[in-house]
Amino acid sequence: MYETSPLLHFAEDTLQIAALSFMAIVYALKIRWILKFPAAKERQKPTAPPGRDGRKGALYSLAAIAMPWAMASYRERPLRYIQFAVFHLAVAASILMSFLIPYAPETIASPAAVGLLQAIFAAGILMGLMRLWRRLADPHVRAISTPDDYFSLALLIVWLGASIAAAPNAREVSETPLLVYFFLTAFFLVYVPFSKISHYIYYPFSRYYLGKTLGRRGAYPLADPAAMLKPES
Amino acid sequence: MARERSWRAQKVVERLEQKVNRQVLLSLAACVHCGMCTEQCHYVLANPDDPTYAPAYKADKLRKLFKAHIDWTGRAFPWWVGARSVYTDEELEDLKDTVFGKCTNCRRCSYNCPMGVDMATFNRLARGLLVHVGIMPEGVATVAKDQWEIGNQMGVLKEDYLETIEWMQEELQDEFDDPGIEIPIDKKGAEVVYTINPREAKYDPRTIAEAAAIFHFAGENWTMVSEGWDMTNFGLFNGDDELGGACARRVYDAARAIGAKRIVISECGHGYRSTRCEGPNWSKTDLPDIEMESSIITMLRYIKEGRIQVDKSKNSIPVTYHDSCNMARSCGMTEEPRELLRLVCSDFREMYPNRQQNFCCTGGGGAMSMAEYAPRRLKSAKIKAEQLRATGAKIVITSCHNCVDGLTDLIKHYQLDMEVKQLVDMVYNALVVPKPAPKVEVPVAVAPAEIPAKALAGYKILVIDDEPDVRTYLRVIFKDKGAEVLEAPDANQGWRQIRDQKPDLVTLDLVMPHKTGEKLYWELRKDERYKDLPIVIITGYGKTDKPTVRFHEFIAEKGIPEPNAFLEKPIDPDKVIATAIQVLSAGIPTDRVH
Repeated sequence: MYETSPLLHFAEDTLQIAALSFMAIVYALKIRWILKFPAAKERQKPTAPPGRDGRKGALYSLAAIAMPWAMASYRERPLRYIQFAVFHLAVAASILMSFLIPYAPETIASPAAVGLLQAIFAAGILMGLMRLWRRLADPHVRAISTPDDYFSLALLIVWLGASIAAAPNAREVSETPLLVYFFLTAFFLVYVPFSKISHYIYYPFSRYYLGKTLGRRGAYPLADPAAMLKPES
Repeated sequence: MARERSWRAQKVVERLEQKVNRQVLLSLAACVHCGMCTEQCHYVLANPDDPTYAPAYKADKLRKLFKAHIDWTGRAFPWWVGARSVYTDEELEDLKDTVFGKCTNCRRCSYNCPMGVDMATFNRLARGLLVHVGIMPEGVATVAKDQWEIGNQMGVLKEDYLETIEWMQEELQDEFDDPGIEIPIDKKGAEVVYTINPREAKYDPRTIAEAAAIFHFAGENWTMVSEGWDMTNFGLFNGDDELGGACARRVYDAARAIGAKRIVISECGHGYRSTRCEGPNWSKTDLPDIEMESSIITMLRYIKEGRIQVDKSKNSIPVTYHDSCNMARSCGMTEEPRELLRLVCSDFREMYPNRQQNFCCTGGGGAMSMAEYAPRRLKSAKIKAEQLRATGAKIVITSCHNCVDGLTDLIKHYQLDMEVKQLVDMVYNALVVPKPAPKVEVPVAVAPAEIPAKALAGYKILVIDDEPDVRTYLRVIFKDKGAEVLEAPDANQGWRQIRDQKPDLVTLDLVMPHKTGEKLYWELRKDERYKDLPIVIITGYGKTDKPTVRFHEFIAEKGIPEPNAFLEKPIDPDKVIATAIQVLSAGIPTDRVH
């Protein structure tokens, strides 16, 4: 029976826990920092018509990302939504895999599971490269891109590449792909709180406040987003 | 060595640190530079090759400053995340050019941002930072100064304002040949205070007259005020919360001084948003006893309640509707204007995109007061012009004075065959002006002084009125003349009394709960048994007031005969007796005439 090397054991267990703990601490501090800033209060009476209020607006706003038809930006460019969805799905799958390999390897041991994961990662890489290309080629996006934007995206693409190699969990053949994957994951976890990748920490807050305000005023939820954009043919 | 900052730049940095609240912080921190907002901005669509118009690029001007001074990573690794502070007045001028000259705070990008970044809110904040150190377009400075000093953003003097109101009142009186039409000023105890945009007093007073006519024919107890009448608020545009609070407070104080229950805000997008939504926050005022509503809601309510009648065939030219950004995106008012338009116009055509996804008129955010950016504004109006042209409409309706000016400008620039109107114009044009109520001539033969003591002896008179005092009063005066008097507090009981007691004469009130007097009148006239029953309508309010007006419309529409007589409250006892005698004399066999 194959025995995992101490280095890989460290990389997939101790190092991950340490990196995750670090990330959690930084996130906690970040949330504390956000909450230190006073939230603007709405003093006026609610102006929404019956059926709309701040709570409904906030819920609608939080769900907006799952409703591409409600945003002209995605509705008019569905490929970008596909890019977004597949890329984020691949990242989520890789995060999940970083837990499953060390603690429940049997769940993704079958060739079908490995194949599915690799397909998701490959699709994620493709979408990531398309996003990177857009960032480089579109003058509007290039003009707003910072080194962090490029690096974060490149990091995730490379990490997804490492995920493809690590997915079979073939440590008895070679530990190198797993070592690369877990060291990259640890770096990713430590880097994330300081980079744009931490946007998912902001997402619930920013969408909640926007939705609450617009809901209280009756602008959210949108009644019929599709009908606003194009006449029925 | 630390780079030296100009005094203004230093103040901007200090104030930024004071002004950032949680919502702004999140909007500044959450952007992932995905660029999804790019094509949602009318400036970008008109300038596709210039990335400096992209919402995220414009937002980054403030975001860089935020990162340099507030954000963690930005302070530690500024180059890595694009953090950059401001040092010179030239940099502040550049920021001014962006936040005033390349964005109308329309909020369309925010609706289409996956992260929910509210760019309009922090663009306003950036404007406020600059205004605080005196950097702003000249027009913005002038307007803000007028609003601070004179109390309205167009510097309309009180005398001129009052003179304009008086002029409009005379116009209305002439137009309707009715000296009773008034535009009240500072009328204590009025239920409604009507507030306007100074543009109406200065350039377009006709809208004041139109609104006044609508209030008048609706029988509203309303007034305008001599101070605090300007509901617009340049604080929204220049980011100055102190000005915003001062303007809003003026309006609230004026309404409180009158004792009004409602502030009606004329059609103005930013005025509506400022007065109703933002004003209480800026002015730190709670208004538990005063409702605020747009005149759109008021007009719609009058029509629905039957207080005014409209005929949409009077507006048969094809119209479309432009949603003001502040009305639709910031206040959610999208359906009510359409409902009203469909009631007063016969050919309404939707514009696409619309509602919260509509494009800005390009005159918003105070853009109409920034002459230096006019060419840029008109260029960016290309998408709006295309939207308008595609509707095939001849009139574009909007509920905002900024939009009126912005659209008028672009229609001229792009040579569209259209004109701009507001909802009040359309409602006024569709108004069915009530005919004056017919008067019953009291015959000379039965002049009050000559009425015999028991002139009504032997007659049975039924009084149907929901007000106990009125019933008692009529009972006393009819009894005094010898009549037997029956009473009913509502239409249903009245109907039963008619059937069971067979009165010789009925006096009928129109405004009653549950079933109205006009409904009962119609039922009686339809019924073969009672179609000739003498009925005298006795109802309240003035001569052009709602029940009488509605009643005459009603009987004309139903094709039923006029009542035997029509009297108004307050009740003149001699007139009531004389009328009863006259009616009974005409309809009763001669042997029963006294």
